[in-house]
Amino acid sequence: MNQTTVAPRPISAEAVHANENRKFGMWLFLSSELLIFAGLIGAFVLTRRNAFQNGLEWWEPNAFSLALVSVNTFILLASSLMVVLGIEAIRVNDQRKLRRYLILTAILGAMFLGGQAVEYSLLIFEEGHSFADPFGSAFFTLTGIHGLHVFVGVIWCLVTLMVARRGTFSSYNYTTVEIFGLYWHFVDLIWVIIFTVVYLTN
Amino acid sequence: MANTPVPHGDAEAHRKHTNPVLVFGILTIATIFEVVVTLFHLPQNVIVPILLAVAFVKAGLVAAYYMHLRYEKWIYTAIFITPALFAVFLIFTLAM
Repeated sequence: MNQTTVAPRPISAEAVHANENRKFGMWLFLSSELLIFAGLIGAFVLTRRNAFQNGLEWWEPNAFSLALVSVNTFILLASSLMVVLGIEAIRVNDQRKLRRYLILTAILGAMFLGGQAVEYSLLIFEEGHSFADPFGSAFFTLTGIHGLHVFVGVIWCLVTLMVARRGTFSSYNYTTVEIFGLYWHFVDLIWVIIFTVVYLTN
Repeated sequence: MANTPVPHGDAEAHRKHTNPVLVFGILTIATIFEVVVTLFHLPQNVIVPILLAVAFVKAGLVAAYYMHLRYEKWIYTAIFITPALFAVFLIFTLAM
């Protein structure tokens, strides 16, 4: 049966109120996450400054690294677009399109993680960086924790997709997708800052 | 009445949103601009503020249009903007 043709069922006022509370909770969570990343980015900037002042070795991205991370940035921005389009689809009760955009989001998220794995392997095995040097400790901590967030986002996306396959969401009831979307966009927003601070302002 | 069926959320859900593809285009162009600017090897005290300003504009676009803060209740903006201001202050202070 084509689920896009099923008429959506309205939800009760209590459910709407509960959904508002869930969104409110998500925003509180994201604001605390923002502070965690502010601390991590601040620690990276401070470590870099200390390394320069003390004449310690620091990393400068070469053309390949910059190209790789630029493509990765584009991938993450595109994944955010997929989430927005998915939410727009479910707003008009198009469940098939929602599922398609969620699949694309998960694929793009996995591609981002693949790009990050390539970058890490180059840094560790080709350039010999590790947690022992100042750059490695600051870089791997910041980008690693961000990568962990992307990984959690991909898992969350797949869980949302499984729920979507049961036809749970409709134009009346898509807060779960919205909340996942908030998390995913937040991870994208943080990457926008990390990309500039870590790779471009060296 | 408590059990009256109502559509999802509030009027936000039915308000016309800015085209997300347009926002994506702006974000992509801004990213390309950032990468190209770094190739000119401008002095640090010139390039760093430019790059940070572009990055914060991009982050603002994501928050406003993708996270729908522009269309949501003011309380969500207040919740998010407070730590965001602190974060911007911290990063600018340490970067400059």
